[in-house]
Amino acid sequence: MSTIIQNISKPRAGESTWLWLIKILTGGLLVILLLVHLIVNHFVVEGGLMTYANVVAYFQNPWIVFMEICFLATVVSHSLIALRSILLDMNPAPNVLNIINWVLGVVGVGAVVYGVWLALTIASK
Amino acid sequence: MESQHNQPSPGKFWNWFNPVGRKTGGWAFILNRITALGLTFYLFLHLIVLGQLAKGPEGYDSFIALMKNPIAVFGELLVVAAGIIHGLNGIRIALTTFGVSISTQKQLFYALMAIALIAILFFGIRMFTA
Repeated sequence: MSTIIQNISKPRAGESTWLWLIKILTGGLLVILLLVHLIVNHFVVEGGLMTYANVVAYFQNPWIVFMEICFLATVVSHSLIALRSILLDMNPAPNVLNIINWVLGVVGVGAVVYGVWLALTIASK
Repeated sequence: MESQHNQPSPGKFWNWFNPVGRKTGGWAFILNRITALGLTFYLFLHLIVLGQLAKGPEGYDSFIALMKNPIAVFGELLVVAAGIIHGLNGIRIALTTFGVSISTQKQLFYALMAIALIAILFFGIRMFTA
């Protein structure tokens, strides 16, 4: 039994249970959101949203904007928490980990703010 | 290999590039990491490139035209493949985390990767014949 338990995902040293759980749950959510994102962008309109005019027209629908922002926040959280997990395997010193936490936090918040701004800019064209 | 999950050290980071002596779980792990790094890189590239949309039609439409060359399409296929592999393998990780299919996760992994292979072939054919 103990060998089997070793082969399932669990928090690393330096990774809180919450962060680990968010990584797993956003992963599950992303399977759905990525499918919606791809269907909306590539399969609803024949040939996909391949011109600027197409994209702007599509972003007039507030549900599309809402879905894209949810997708963005979820995928950025998942990827940066996971990137932190990978960096934790290099066993960073506490002060280095502190810098990593700040950089990832700023990049994550920055990416979401930028994405929301971009989505709203396109929607307002 | 199994123990590298929960015990960080600098050597462990480089270990996952090493294919020697890997068991199925080790391959699942390396596959998950490589696709994770690739998808993270693509995510930020995607966000930066979509910034063209804020500038107006010229920038975006010329970018889309540029992306129709076969090298770019191949790059997109790599992204699609990474997404499919990472997503399906991730389903296994999430299921086993919550206690589902722990004793059969090797079979689950092979089944999911078979589905991934079929899906990648489907998209590859579709993207290069469109």
